[in-house]
Amino acid sequence: MKISYSWLKSYVPELPDAEKLCDVFTYHLCEVESLETLPEGEKIFDLNILPNRAHDLLSHQGIARELAGQLGLKFHDATPMYKIPESLPTKLQIESQTDNCRRYTGRIVRNITVGPSPEWVVKYLESIGQRSINNIVDATNIVMYDCGQPCHAFDIRKIPGEKIIIKNAKDGEELELLGSEKIKAKLKNSDTVIANADDMTLGIAGVKGGLHSGVQNDTTEIVLEVANFDPVAVRKTARRLGILTDSAKRFENDLSPTLCDFAMMELSALIVEMCPNAQFETIVNFEQKPPENLRKITFKTAQINNMLGSNISDGEVVAILQKYAFNYTQNGDVFELEIPAMRLDLWSINDVAEEIGRIIGYDTLAPVIPKIDFDKKVNEKHEKIMRARNVLLAHGYSEVMTYSFAKSGVIEVAYGTSGEKFLRTNLSDGIKKSYELNRLNAHLLGCDEIKIFEIGNIFLEKNVEHTHIAIADKKGVKEFSVENFAEKISDENNLSQILLIEKITDTKIFIQNFNKKHFSKKEIFSAWSPFPFITRDISVWVPEHTDPEILLQIFVEHGGELLARTPQLFDMFSKENKTSFGFRLVFQSQNKTLTDEETYTIVDNINNTLKNKGYIVR
Amino acid sequence: MDTGTEHPLSIVRNEAYEIFSELGFEIADGPELETEWYNFDALNVSKNHPARDMQDTYWIKMTESEIEQAQAGERSSRPVLRTHATSVSARMLEKASHENKNTCAYISIGKVFRNEATDATHEAQFFQIDGSMIGENINLSNMKAVLLKFYKKVLGEDIEIEFRPSFFPFTEPSVEVHAKFKGKWLEMMGGGMLHPNVLKNAGFDPEKVQGFAFGGGLDRIAMIKYKIPDVRLFYQGDLRLNQF
Repeated sequence: MKISYSWLKSYVPELPDAEKLCDVFTYHLCEVESLETLPEGEKIFDLNILPNRAHDLLSHQGIARELAGQLGLKFHDATPMYKIPESLPTKLQIESQTDNCRRYTGRIVRNITVGPSPEWVVKYLESIGQRSINNIVDATNIVMYDCGQPCHAFDIRKIPGEKIIIKNAKDGEELELLGSEKIKAKLKNSDTVIANADDMTLGIAGVKGGLHSGVQNDTTEIVLEVANFDPVAVRKTARRLGILTDSAKRFENDLSPTLCDFAMMELSALIVEMCPNAQFETIVNFEQKPPENLRKITFKTAQINNMLGSNISDGEVVAILQKYAFNYTQNGDVFELEIPAMRLDLWSINDVAEEIGRIIGYDTLAPVIPKIDFDKKVNEKHEKIMRARNVLLAHGYSEVMTYSFAKSGVIEVAYGTSGEKFLRTNLSDGIKKSYELNRLNAHLLGCDEIKIFEIGNIFLEKNVEHTHIAIADKKGVKEFSVENFAEKISDENNLSQILLIEKITDTKIFIQNFNKKHFSKKEIFSAWSPFPFITRDISVWVPEHTDPEILLQIFVEHGGELLARTPQLFDMFSKENKTSFGFRLVFQSQNKTLTDEETYTIVDNINNTLKNKGYIVR
Repeated sequence: MDTGTEHPLSIVRNEAYEIFSELGFEIADGPELETEWYNFDALNVSKNHPARDMQDTYWIKMTESEIEQAQAGERSSRPVLRTHATSVSARMLEKASHENKNTCAYISIGKVFRNEATDATHEAQFFQIDGSMIGENINLSNMKAVLLKFYKKVLGEDIEIEFRPSFFPFTEPSVEVHAKFKGKWLEMMGGGMLHPNVLKNAGFDPEKVQGFAFGGGLDRIAMIKYKIPDVRLFYQGDLRLNQF
């Protein structure tokens, strides 16, 4: 939500700089999306108000009160300055035919002149990204952004008999909405609307007013609406219609019905400022049920400390409650806290702990390792999975992960964004694709052959899933349940039936050790090239006992940046005082497709260097 | 013999399991195909929470009457691909209360699903790490120490963490956990003290038992640790990813 710094300052004149407030918000209230400075110098915060505080903090007053409490500054209440003329008697009637209207306060105001708003109103609205429309509409918007209560004004010419009815819409009826977009909303019986006595729909409750019933340039008499609608009903209607107005956003987060009184007073006071000759009639109040008594929560400081791991005293609690202007009583170590009507988020000791925790700041909590002897069990399935992984890794199988979704299966998701809407019934299909992909990259990966496995869940019949292990190598794909696999590998003799196990020779060990010495695991991800690679194998006779390291250095020197990986030794044998080493060079560019010629040039240079050293290139 | 290479998510997962096991956590697991009860209701997620919408969550295809039937009892058995691994905490805490265990801790790392358009930082499937610890006096400072140990192990000894105010239906107080990695504060996970309703749903008396729970993306931790630029790389079955 966009919050104007100078608007806040009108309530808390001693506020520190906007930049300093960012930390106060971040560590004690909510995330600051941005702090922007407008061309005329106005500073605007974009705050991510947390869902549990949307009842009271989608408003400048709410934020200002929060800051005053947090910083121990004075909050200037503007209410005493409101001068609303004495009300005249009224004939306005309000009737609710739905459960979705918790409260509806209405007031007729006559003798108004619709025109431009005062400069400060235009400035405030524009600074938070809103457009000034006319004085009356602006007044309703100012009230919403100031105290959080959405308000509306109807032209009384559309309310014959001065009677307002809140009811369910007629299925299929259409209503053209206020605003430049000329949206026609198609309503359903489950939507709540405001109608007149002629059964004409004037607006969608809590969402948006109708075009024809709104304030016109020649309007002189209006009915002000300050109401409270059921959050779920408003949310459903607004979401279905795709009209997420600021009003709907506030209602769907649940507002206190008591807020109507303040909002009607503030709205009236603004209209007095804009239209000094306005005549106000008595407020008509419909209430589904009488307002509830204020809730009380009792707690002890020790309970708060026990929950937070903090170490605050009763005195510190008192200081917090006073700064935040909470009403409370203290009886020994027991506090009884009266919850303000707007604080629909405070219900339990946990809520009080959060309130105190965020106010003192969670940085004040020292990390303490709990010293408890937990009676913990071994997770057998996890153990089996770990054992299986270790065996597979030890035998040269590498791990892959693929998607749980498939083109066909038994269980289908109701609504999916991608084309694959079924849950996989096996791992084999996914690992086959993975095998093919990796096989093409074998040289790049420095492998002679690809050996992979995946451990994951599959979904066969309704609501039953199994954890499987799939392995893929040149002999094909095999898939097991974890239990089955664990049983099979428990007998060493079985391993060769399941896995490809190479014979170990001294030469192989030499080759592996040599390659391992030149391979290091990465700390930071290195992106692979999207361009194809070219493999060149080079075999060379060298005198016996020549260190293959010398050859490697020559390859690296000539290959330079175009070597996709350190050349791998793949072959070695000795004959007649000579040893042949076979190296695999993999060339790849990060930014183009290499031509054969480019690699031949490098290989030619390498061969020449080798010859000059007296080696024989095979 | 050449050993195989590990998937980066497994490396981080196993480090996490190791450190949490040392701290007394029991390794737990639960189904990826969950019930509405364990994924939402037991965790105090209101019936009108946006996460319950068709658009954000993978509900399983059923007829209207099948859905009605699944939701008929006290506990909805309507199947859903779990949206968080916190459902495992809900299951384990319930099990603990049935066994009269008032002091326990669980850690679980598993796949979760979100029905959303994918991009470099969003995937339809990803891994989440979820933990909970209960006891008579288990508090938020304890969670701070536990998570600090974890991040030090995974991201390095010089890591710092801090808690910022947040909101989750299943915890109260709720905090967002941020970690300072290479000079930058990053949002890492969410957590807080288990909401009394969550404890009640598990069969505990919130007057007698309290504890914390935390959860967040494992993929994100791996992406930060290894500077992996795109979450989708984890699920391509491509061995070029196994560099670590």
